Amino acid sequence: METDSMECVSSTGNEIHQNGNGHQSYQFSSTKTHGGAAAAAVVTNIVGPTATAPATSVYELLECPVCTYSMYPPIHQCHNGHTLCSTCKVRVHNRCPTCRQELGDIRCLALEKVAESLELPCKFYNLGCPEIFPYYSKLKHESLCNFRPYSCPYAGSECGIVGDIPFLVAHLRDDHKVDMHAGSTFNHRYVKSNPREVENATWMLTVFHCFGQYFCLHFEAFQLGMGPVYMAFLRFMGDEEDARSYSYSLEVGGSGRKLTWEGTPRSIRDSHRKVRDSNDGLIIQRNMALFFSGGDRKELKLRVTGKIWKEQHSPDSGLSIPNLSSS
Amino acid sequence: MEPRINDLQVESRVHELLDFPVHTNQISSAIYECPNDHIENPKKKPYNCPHSGAKCDVTGDIQRLLLHLRNDHNVEMSDGRSFSHRYVHHDPKHLHHATWMLTLLDCCGRKFCLYFEAFHLRKTPMYMAFMQFMGDEEEAMSFSYSLQVGGNGRKLTWQGVPRSIRDSHKTVRDSQDGLIITRKLALFFSTDNNTTDKELKLKVSGRVWREQPVSI
Repeated sequence: METDSMECVSSTGNEIHQNGNGHQSYQFSSTKTHGGAAAAAVVTNIVGPTATAPATSVYELLECPVCTYSMYPPIHQCHNGHTLCSTCKVRVHNRCPTCRQELGDIRCLALEKVAESLELPCKFYNLGCPEIFPYYSKLKHESLCNFRPYSCPYAGSECGIVGDIPFLVAHLRDDHKVDMHAGSTFNHRYVKSNPREVENATWMLTVFHCFGQYFCLHFEAFQLGMGPVYMAFLRFMGDEEDARSYSYSLEVGGSGRKLTWEGTPRSIRDSHRKVRDSNDGLIIQRNMALFFSGGDRKELKLRVTGKIWKEQHSPDSGLSIPNLSSS
Repeated sequence: MEPRINDLQVESRVHELLDFPVHTNQISSAIYECPNDHIENPKKKPYNCPHSGAKCDVTGDIQRLLLHLRNDHNVEMSDGRSFSHRYVHHDPKHLHHATWMLTLLDCCGRKFCLYFEAFHLRKTPMYMAFMQFMGDEEEAMSFSYSLQVGGNGRKLTWQGVPRSIRDSHKTVRDSQDGLIITRKLALFFSTDNNTTDKELKLKVSGRVWREQPVSI
């Protein structure tokens, strides 16, 4: 989940969980020596020379010995001065993972202040981001950096591929065998011979190329609560801001009825699941879908037509990105 | 000038005189119960009161039901050629099947019932809006209607054929023959106008029209 990197501190917690649970503090300390040093070396390479004296050791100091992630205030220490990040602190049952003495509740203000004076380049500098950030705002920037790579928008499997848009388009075409279409209008027919079987896995992806951009059209069957529904929506292969310059419409119908959706494509920065769960698209109840299909209701035959267009955008009509994941 | 008859006893005597199929309903107020076993023509069969909220047993012809809806259920009438209704739901987190509204619409001298209601569709909270024609199935099919709801740069449009009020409100709802919006989407639509998650404000606009007869 790309937008979750803001919470990377809590994801470190999970890692501890995998390593062993709390009381096995030996494992923690061994992680520290190996992992910690290695990660520090990488950071140093990126940074290069800075004005202040031995940079390496300072960055090393700022790594949590348990999870090896960078520490952010409040940074804690034990009576012997061994430091620890706040996420790991709650998981070690008041015992210092380094010396196994009682941990107590001492904050390491000095280290927090040292960190404040540091500046680091964005970790996506090799993807083109030229910016340098104070230690504490670097993390926030990286979670939103426009140069951060995109995840593969293919929803069916756990595809871990990341990259820029041209790379992902080629990847979708070559590795996932996704259909590519040129043009801004479409007319698709989804046929399913046994619509009673609705599984989460029933879905389709088509890529459209128009206005010099790429769009992903998703069509899928899933359970909304206890009820089977079909859903179609569009995602833009690019960032949120550019996505808002486009609109799209989808239409489905039959037997004198039709249902039309007009919306703004979401960026593929938002995961397929997030868009689906926020209901931001054309949702067709199965009864209605079978009604549209005509015939004996045994087969699903949905014709979805639609188009994509570029909006004449006024810059100040900033629409909020829906965040409806909680219900 | 509409005469009002309030005396129920008088009304029930008059009722016999005004019974199907020879009644004139111009001067009647709401007349309760119209049991008539002698109806030959199904088109003349009395309609049930389309007000589905309470268990209303009133039956009658369209004119009678219109008076009944206005006088006894306080249902309002709008122009069906173009309408825009605002539904406010103060506590959308707590959905009951009973949360619903009825409005009457007028188009080409015919009357339509516009329903808006909150319900659970297989455990998922939904809102649904649909229209029913106050008349028989055959004539219902010569009309079309559209309903539109939106906000935050999105809009959802339903275009359909009104069902006759011969079909019960529940039949139409269960066949999903109307505009269905999940609560999530409805709340997203209503965040347009500085509302919080605690209150739902949906603007449903639409129109009814008579389809041109197909000439070949």
